[in-house]
Amino acid sequence: MADISISEQDFEKFREFFYRKSGIQFDDSKRYFVDKRLIERIEATQSGSFRNYFMLLRVQASNAELQTLTNLMTVNETYFFREEYQFDSLVNSILPEIVRLKQDQKPIRIWVIPSSSGEEAYSIAIKLLECWPAINEVDVEIISSDIDTHILGQARQGLYSARSVAQMPTRYLQQYFRRVGQNWQICDALRDAVEFTRVNLSDPSDTRAYRGFDVVFCRNLLIYFDDISRKAAAETFYDALNPGGFICLGHSESMSRMSSLFRVRKFPDAIVYQKPLEAR
Amino acid sequence: MKRILIIDDAATVRLYHRQILEKAGYLVEEAFNGLEALEKALQAPFDLYLVDINTPKLDGFGFLRELRSQPITQTPAIMISTMAEERDRQQAAAAGANDYLVKPVRPEQLLAHVRPLLGEVST
Amino acid sequence: MPLIKPGQTPPSDEEKRRWPRDADGLLRALDDSTPSARRCSARDMANAENDAQRALFAAALLARLRSEHEVSVREVMLTTLVRLGDIAALSGLADCLRTDDTTLRNEVIEAMREAPAETAPIILELLGDAEPSLRVFAVNILESFRHPDVEHWLIDLISHEANVNVCASAVDVLCLTGSTASRPALLALRQRFPEEPFLQFAIDLALKRTAD
Repeated sequence: MADISISEQDFEKFREFFYRKSGIQFDDSKRYFVDKRLIERIEATQSGSFRNYFMLLRVQASNAELQTLTNLMTVNETYFFREEYQFDSLVNSILPEIVRLKQDQKPIRIWVIPSSSGEEAYSIAIKLLECWPAINEVDVEIISSDIDTHILGQARQGLYSARSVAQMPTRYLQQYFRRVGQNWQICDALRDAVEFTRVNLSDPSDTRAYRGFDVVFCRNLLIYFDDISRKAAAETFYDALNPGGFICLGHSESMSRMSSLFRVRKFPDAIVYQKPLEAR
Repeated sequence: MKRILIIDDAATVRLYHRQILEKAGYLVEEAFNGLEALEKALQAPFDLYLVDINTPKLDGFGFLRELRSQPITQTPAIMISTMAEERDRQQAAAAGANDYLVKPVRPEQLLAHVRPLLGEVST
Repeated sequence: MPLIKPGQTPPSDEEKRRWPRDADGLLRALDDSTPSARRCSARDMANAENDAQRALFAAALLARLRSEHEVSVREVMLTTLVRLGDIAALSGLADCLRTDDTTLRNEVIEAMREAPAETAPIILELLGDAEPSLRVFAVNILESFRHPDVEHWLIDLISHEANVNVCASAVDVLCLTGSTASRPALLALRQRFPEEPFLQFAIDLALKRTAD
């Protein structure tokens, strides 16, 4: 294959394009990282040159290539306690505010989507039990959804590799997991505490029943959606949340590229988005 | 060093203003629209905001409304727009803008409006 | 452990009980007094079953767009309009670009951008509109427009456009989407506006970006 190179101007164009789309801005020090991945995809798509490939990214109706490239540009791995600062924000700021504003005795409801194999929903459950003393007085429901029934089966089963639990404090591992050969089995009490359901976020008839949530975790999913699907998803979350409810996105995702329906809130541990309290 | 946030969805405009302001000794950051600007402002407040009126998702008016409702509120802001009518200026002032510039902006003109708002004597 | 599983009954869905989910029910729910019911109806319309229903829903959404003051409802209406892809309704959207409401205008620009096949003829018309601000909006739509002729249209535009801000917007888009084909028009444009430092700066950048 002929040598493909990314010129400085190519890099500038791509950088601006990707920034517009995602809000992620690569600085000059990322040049090698970006070039390498671009070249990899130019070859894989047999585009032959940056110019052709850039055209493909911009005009392809299915958006598939942009998705693939985004995946390469953002490391996406799921494991226990990933991006823990958001869970800190949950127990230190978000839940206390929700409790303070709550006017009924209904449980606090948290929606985790995509569920993937369950690491995030279980991490939230553990975080609440370990770091939020109010859990003894307030009921919390955690519902975790995914479009993929196979992965939901894995989530319900709750068997994880050593790598997947490596970031978690050992104490939690001992308390909530049991060793099974090379792997770790999450305890029944937690398996029983999280509800896993199948949902296609893009289908209104699937999401219609999802209402009355106080917090939505939707991390590292919308970044792969095209502009309109992303906006539609944000609107779905708007209706899924109670007024004053919060939405947490992944660290490389910005609501600024999706929807203006939510309000930015700064807490000590994280910046999150909130459905306005006066929303109807 | 004074920090300025440029809010504009046009990359050429951001770069042009950045270059003028950096040459004059300011630290500059950029935001694509009002929402990204709010995220940045909440992370670390700026000394001045250069706000384009027409940005996607959250426009300049929406940005100023939200900014003025936050604790960091009273930081000066200059609104920039292609619209040159008196009505547009009034609307910007009502939204909390301290000054108003009509595009395209000349380098000396930009600095002449930026400096007084940062408490500096315009040269 | 006070982590509990949700009860057997799914959360109540008031809108669902109030309005049947058939076409007639959805249309009536669009005029409901509560915004959440209107949002729900507008969202469900995206699941239209056939072309006739798509046209019916699209027309109903378009007719209410300007009078809908609740931004959250308007956002969903626009999302559904794009998803329905009804040509007549998307053409109607262009009229909203003439409103003074910057928020609605920006929403419409984003919506039209999402349906390149349907909105292309309208955009060509807008590029020739007598009002410079409308031409700027049309150029803004082209910024991320999945259509192979974008560069060609922009070259045409900057070859005769007299308004400096319209030219500047077009040059901004060419910085990202332009190729060597744009260079003669960019060079000519630079000659036409020697006294405009910003436009000179933008053109120079575009020339750099489009160099082979």
